[in-house]
Amino acid sequence: MKKIILNSILILLSLMFIYPIFWMLLLSFKQNPEAFNSFKDLLVSPLSFINYSETFSSDSFGLYFINSFVIASFVTIGNILFCTTVAYAFARRKFKISKILFATVLGVLLIPGHVVMIPIYRLMVELGWLNTYFSLIIPWLVSPFGIFLVYQYIKSIPIDIEDAARVDGASDWYILFRIVMPLCKPILTVLSIFIFLSNWNSFLFPFILTSSEQIRTLPVGLAFYLGKQSIDWGHLMAGASISATPVILLFILFQKQIINGLTSGALKD
Amino acid sequence: MKNKFKDNIFTYSLLAPWIITFIVFWLFPLLYSAYLSFNRYESLTGNTNFLGFENYTRMFQDPIFWKALTNTGLFAIIAVPASTILALFMAVLLNSKMDGYINSLLMMLGLPHPEKGWLLEPCTSLLSIIILDVWINAGYYMVLFIAGMQTIPAELYEYAQLTGANSWQKFRRITLPLLRPTMVFVLLINTIKSFQVFVEILVMTKGGPMKSTTTLVYLIFKNAFDHTDLMGYASAMAYVLFFILLILSILQSKVMKEKV
Repeated sequence: MKKIILNSILILLSLMFIYPIFWMLLLSFKQNPEAFNSFKDLLVSPLSFINYSETFSSDSFGLYFINSFVIASFVTIGNILFCTTVAYAFARRKFKISKILFATVLGVLLIPGHVVMIPIYRLMVELGWLNTYFSLIIPWLVSPFGIFLVYQYIKSIPIDIEDAARVDGASDWYILFRIVMPLCKPILTVLSIFIFLSNWNSFLFPFILTSSEQIRTLPVGLAFYLGKQSIDWGHLMAGASISATPVILLFILFQKQIINGLTSGALKD
Repeated sequence: MKNKFKDNIFTYSLLAPWIITFIVFWLFPLLYSAYLSFNRYESLTGNTNFLGFENYTRMFQDPIFWKALTNTGLFAIIAVPASTILALFMAVLLNSKMDGYINSLLMMLGLPHPEKGWLLEPCTSLLSIIILDVWINAGYYMVLFIAGMQTIPAELYEYAQLTGANSWQKFRRITLPLLRPTMVFVLLINTIKSFQVFVEILVMTKGGPMKSTTTLVYLIFKNAFDHTDLMGYASAMAYVLFFILLILSILQSKVMKEKV
């Protein structure tokens, strides 16, 4: 009896969380959903793929999709490479300013991007980087969250392996890229998923730093869609469903790594 | 000697990406923002006039600033307990039977479907955004709570079972006290996040109706980008936000140290 009650509460809560997603999918599969008067009419009307086919074939949506993908991919690759090199230096090398420099990493980890949105915008104006990929890629190539994550992981790897390689005559670069980096693969997987998803979903900076449609990303594109005079819910929800697909897929595939990452410290958007 | 030099070159080339990123994209913006907050800056002409503390005194006399600060505080006061309690509740239920599949369902992310009527009423608009925020974030806090609960030794519950404690007593006497570090962490992260709420407001209400959803970050954004001469003023507001968040963050790191 107790089990039944517990399960029903859990199912009810799950439904509460899924409900908006269900709505999104339902609307995305209906032609002109705003034409229906009641929920029942909407529910029983035939499903259609027209919103998806039209969204996919519209030039701008494909462009937003590519922009989001290119930006998120470059930032992810940058983080895999640079977070490893920086974290390795903090974990294994002795140098004068290590304490101060590590404090800057922890400090930036705590500063939300909102605080610097105005000066970053001004800086991008001065650099001539507004409406270019540069403004959305270069500043984010190495994240304090990533440095901290990889740093903790390298600290947990026994140093003996590196020492043995050094005795065998391996160079510093060889040790870093051929020995340490492969050992970091599990944490770099977590890092990649997080960086990719946070850049895929990123809104604030792409919104401020781009005005041209050529460089617009998916979340910004969807927000502009919402701002139009009459909202075309069918197409909007098809677009939203498409942009949520990689997020849901990555989550299903890497549930364990994502939860590891979530619990390994403060996360920033 | 030569080896030491080579060593340093290696170390600093490893660190270079962070050093450059920090100086160019964090240190310089923070300093530049401080400079802007003491000036009137016109984005069209690029003219700057030194104002001293005028932006700050103006801010504290600006009713819209107080309205935004109140809205932000109100948001935090409602959203933080709501999402924390919901997350704790779900974590307790799920921790008693970690099945996995329900987790997946709860954690799924997606885009919300705004309800027009609620958002157009000043008395319900902020509440609507709070509900959306709780929906977005509760799953994350739940995962943190579950992680915290899994570190509690099972023997404690077994012992409590032997002494005849009921579920509520176990929760009250074992789970809750031992979950304290996670609880404080969740409360602080949650508060910090609440002070940054922005995207939902921009997309759903644009601060309205009647400024009922204008929060601090939204006001900063609006002043900086919708006016040609308020970037300095907005920078001053950004600094106030910075100090509020700094205090919360220092509190948080103190608590985290205590935990370790």
